[in-house]
Amino acid sequence: MPKENVFSPASGLSRRLVLKTGAAVAAVAGAQGLAIPAFAAGFPERNISVIVPTREGGGADRNLRAFTAIWKKYLDTNFEPGFYPGASGRVGYEVYMGKFEADAYSLIFGNMGPEVLNWVVKEPNFSIDDYIYWGRVDTDPGCLFVGAESNMKTIDDVIAEGKKRKLNVGTSRLAHPASIGMLALADKAGIEVNLIPLSGGKRTVAGAVTGEVDLSVLTSGTVAAAGDAVRTLLVFNDENVLGEALDNAPTMNQHFGTDLPPMLSSRAFGIHKAAVDNHPDRFEVLQSSFRKVFEDPDYKAGVLKAKGHWEYVNYGGVEECAAFKQSMLELGAQYKSYLTGK
Amino acid sequence: MEINAAFFADLFLHSLSLWWVIVPSIFLGLVVGAIPGFSAANTIIVLLPFTLIMEVEVGLVFMVALYCASRMGAGIPAILVNIPGTAGAAATPLDGYPMVKKGQGQQALAMSFTASTLGGILTTVIALAAMPLLARVGFYMHSVEMVVVMLFGISLIATIAAKDTLKGLIAGFLGLMIGSIGTDHVYATPRGTMGFLELYDGIPLIPALVGLFAISEAFLVIEGESILSRHSRERLQSSSWAQTLQGFAITLKKWWHVTWTSLIGLVIGVTPGAGAAIAAFVAYQQSRTLSKTPELYGTGHPEGLIAPEAANNGVTAGTLIPLLVLGIPGGATAAIMLVVMQYQGVNVGPRLFSAQPELGYGIFMAMFVTYLLMAFTILPMSRYMSRVTLVSTTYMSPLIVGFTLIGSFVPREYMFDMFLAFAFGILGYIARKTGYHVAAILIGVILGPLMEGYMLVALQKSDGDPFTLFSSPLGNVLWLALVASLLLPVFLKHRQRRQAAAFSEGEG
Repeated sequence: MPKENVFSPASGLSRRLVLKTGAAVAAVAGAQGLAIPAFAAGFPERNISVIVPTREGGGADRNLRAFTAIWKKYLDTNFEPGFYPGASGRVGYEVYMGKFEADAYSLIFGNMGPEVLNWVVKEPNFSIDDYIYWGRVDTDPGCLFVGAESNMKTIDDVIAEGKKRKLNVGTSRLAHPASIGMLALADKAGIEVNLIPLSGGKRTVAGAVTGEVDLSVLTSGTVAAAGDAVRTLLVFNDENVLGEALDNAPTMNQHFGTDLPPMLSSRAFGIHKAAVDNHPDRFEVLQSSFRKVFEDPDYKAGVLKAKGHWEYVNYGGVEECAAFKQSMLELGAQYKSYLTGK
Repeated sequence: MEINAAFFADLFLHSLSLWWVIVPSIFLGLVVGAIPGFSAANTIIVLLPFTLIMEVEVGLVFMVALYCASRMGAGIPAILVNIPGTAGAAATPLDGYPMVKKGQGQQALAMSFTASTLGGILTTVIALAAMPLLARVGFYMHSVEMVVVMLFGISLIATIAAKDTLKGLIAGFLGLMIGSIGTDHVYATPRGTMGFLELYDGIPLIPALVGLFAISEAFLVIEGESILSRHSRERLQSSSWAQTLQGFAITLKKWWHVTWTSLIGLVIGVTPGAGAAIAAFVAYQQSRTLSKTPELYGTGHPEGLIAPEAANNGVTAGTLIPLLVLGIPGGATAAIMLVVMQYQGVNVGPRLFSAQPELGYGIFMAMFVTYLLMAFTILPMSRYMSRVTLVSTTYMSPLIVGFTLIGSFVPREYMFDMFLAFAFGILGYIARKTGYHVAAILIGVILGPLMEGYMLVALQKSDGDPFTLFSSPLGNVLWLALVASLLLPVFLKHRQRRQAAAFSEGEG
């Protein structure tokens, strides 16, 4: 049987029609091509990719959505989040540094606390100086908490129980500022603890609530969001700025008279160093528009509506971020043997 | 507000009035559930901007309906073409696909839809009635108990190995070894990743699923003209509505089977972190163990299809309980729902049911109404869906490979995952050709890492003491049940043999 000619008049598609259509498409494409140079004068001329090294639905996701919902007004573009979880955040960073061009059209939205501690545990495949954090969104101190039904009602109960037996303490991962805060507390109080990584904030909260572990340590923003299901007993910061939302728990320095630096997680945007060097104008646009978000009342309203804590929103630029990164590297070096198990 | 019968009647009518959201969401859910790689979670993420601007109750109803329907949708390709759309449907093809090969595709789909709907409705009603109690399950199911639950699922490997012990165990251990690829749970040290960054987070499930089941199947069916034999084709071509009704009736007759397997799903669902894959495998294993005809499992036995489908729909109501009652999302979709609820200012947790009871209970009522509407909208479609299997393998095989490779790419957008699916396809093809069971490999891949996670937590809590696994009363009860479920089939078989021998002696 001869093959049917798809360009036969019977098919409704003549060769002339195809050529005409092709010419029309080419003309439209050409016109668009001419239009592009005029549009390319400004930055950004397309959407910006944001790589998130944790899963959808977590604290970073919530934070990012609240922030970019306002930032897009000032930057006049949309943000496309991409979630690359795995290996305590390592995968997201490796993907960002290895697969995204250093053209300021891609950013990483990381957590400067635990993710920088990661580099102390095991160096990544890129140099950690090849990216910089430049836009801090918040600083969220770690805290110690128990499930609402726990018999331990105060931090003194925890210490008393710790004198009797080794306590099981849930944490989202070993290389986390809150874990280090817990180790410092155990040192100070002379108690023994088993730090048990439960892979993520949700499971860490669940561990304390259901009694899988005796208590947990985590960033306090996530703990406050868990509401009545948990009870906060200690905050690893100079002050408990959330007050009642964290059950008016004392800080470690207040309660034990220590001089522990704040054990902070801090979400911040990072960028390839090469993008900063090669496109300083673009970087400037990013920075100036980023700064405006913090002054926008809609941002505050958005944070509060999403049950976030405005007290933790804390603008920081390149210098503040660099200082934070450095302090985490030093803290990690101090606890390296514990974090690596070697 | 008083919580009484009138309150629930009002809630039911109100949920029903939202049919205009529920029905389109059901169809969307079926489509995204049926395409490997897509799921309720990533669809909700894609549609998040729309969900956030919807009225809060409309947004929640949309998510719930999508979630329920996607769970049911995942079973469709699992039955028809041996492609489980999600890990929760991984046990569905074990008996669903052999039914299709016998020309009973329409009946199989009707059974799956009925079991899913009944399981969903039943567990939703139980969830509504016993929510505070069910929320307590997580307080008792800790790492020790979960290790034993995992072993129920993993023991399916031994069941499969019963036909050819050595090959079954080799396949199972291969799966467990593949499942251990990725970074370790404590220090995040890469293991067996061969330097591939894409494997740091472990073996991605969708490429493993579609590779082992679908791609290997596509390679196999291309060797023939059709998935079905001539007899099966004729049977399917001459089928009528009667087959749908027959599937419906068989499932209704096995209402007790649907009930207890969906309860397994509900209990596993309310345990934070556990999921539909565990529930489906455990339900299948238990169904086989307690069956009077275990030898028929794997050959297209209705109970082998009903059990995992009822169980994975039982999980749906279960995962929402820790989210709403404790504020802890039980799974990926629940986590995304939490984002939407928090954005809309809904306080999840213990106070939700006193502060906003119409919202807290309303979510479950929306689920109930969704399952009711699904019964009417989806069941009639089984007749037409089953015709897919009549398509010639000349077209079917490339379509399966194409769709599944795209499906492998979607969740993480790594080209690597497409190659990985292809590699699993070749592994599955070799396994099938040489008499190894791909399901045994898959059980190891899916349940191995979960089991390792729970085992590590249990051992860390006890400073490495292995006897901690026998330290909890509930855990010990589960251990006994596990041993009983492994020994029972051996005992029954032995008794059957003795009875047969006595009977033949008597005859002689």
